[in-house]
Amino acid sequence: MTTQHNPILGLFYCRNVPGSSEQERQMLEKKYGTRIRLFPIPCSGRLEPFHLLRALEEFADVAYLITCPEGACRYFEGNKRAKKRVERTQEIISHIGLEKERVGIIIGSKDKPQPLADIIEDILGSTSHLSPSPVLQYAGPPS
Amino acid sequence: MITAEQKPFEEIREMIAPYQRILVLGCASCVAECAAGGQKETAMLASTLRMKGKMEGEEKIIEEHTLDRQCVNDFVIRLDDIIEGYDAILSLGCGAGVQAVQEMYGEIPVIPALNTEFIGETRAQGLWVENCLGCGDCMLYHFGGVCPLARCSKQLFNGPCGGSVDGKCEINPDIDCAWQLIIDRLSSFGALDRLEGIYPPKNWSKKQGGGPRRIVREDQQK
Repeated sequence: MTTQHNPILGLFYCRNVPGSSEQERQMLEKKYGTRIRLFPIPCSGRLEPFHLLRALEEFADVAYLITCPEGACRYFEGNKRAKKRVERTQEIISHIGLEKERVGIIIGSKDKPQPLADIIEDILGSTSHLSPSPVLQYAGPPS
Repeated sequence: MITAEQKPFEEIREMIAPYQRILVLGCASCVAECAAGGQKETAMLASTLRMKGKMEGEEKIIEEHTLDRQCVNDFVIRLDDIIEGYDAILSLGCGAGVQAVQEMYGEIPVIPALNTEFIGETRAQGLWVENCLGCGDCMLYHFGGVCPLARCSKQLFNGPCGGSVDGKCEINPDIDCAWQLIIDRLSSFGALDRLEGIYPPKNWSKKQGGGPRRIVREDQQK
């Protein structure tokens, strides 16, 4: 018998994503409990690969970033930079033997803007096939 | 500044394999500017090493710290407060930084995590180019601020070679022909006559002819 694994999601998102007010964030955290950890950032360009790596190292089975639509970044190119950084992180984790899909980016749509809550559902759905992260299975050195 | 690139991850893993408690040590100067060994890159490498270690069931303790400069003893000595208990230091400094840290902490192996590359400039975001060989006898005045030793693939003092096409080098079309740049620059100064003389071969004795070089300034010493 196999048991369904619910991956723990570390989610970084631009504060300009629709439905990402502080009140909505609190509601989402209440809804999902320990299954997600949310990190609002002023612009997706603020994200560095080590933020995603730290999430994977410390608590997350998957780490994602949500950006504004292309051409809609308030700081002009934050989301373009973010995309490259996510790709760099994917290369790094792939090199050490983790599935690339454990890191991802969702670029918002200009035509059909989705609220944060819907994007979270999509991410959880698309990553539910991933097994628990082997990084987090490590029990630590014997005491 | 000094530029560098991170060594292959597996090479780093092999070098740290014998050690259990490792300090990953960044440098916030040149190698931070070239995105190889600053605080961010140190965090990335340390995190990646810890993850890989956990996946392999290793019992290593890998921690991180970044110094303002690894090549200046006044900064290196700040490690005194944290160095105790580490078996090895994995340095993301340039070659000078690695050696300065090793000199100060002779009993702990200092392992290079970077390959030091060249003296260069940040030409654009994510682009660093070599433009100085540190020859010890700067001739940029004569060549309009473009060094033919560092930037001409053939290191010609009496160029151009005639092989460039559309201002690009025939050896590597990704780079500008240094002699095209020299002539354009001197023309814009109205100083093209500086090229009328014949420049003799470079006197390399001022580079490393006498072994490793030193600069001694008594007025700067205690």
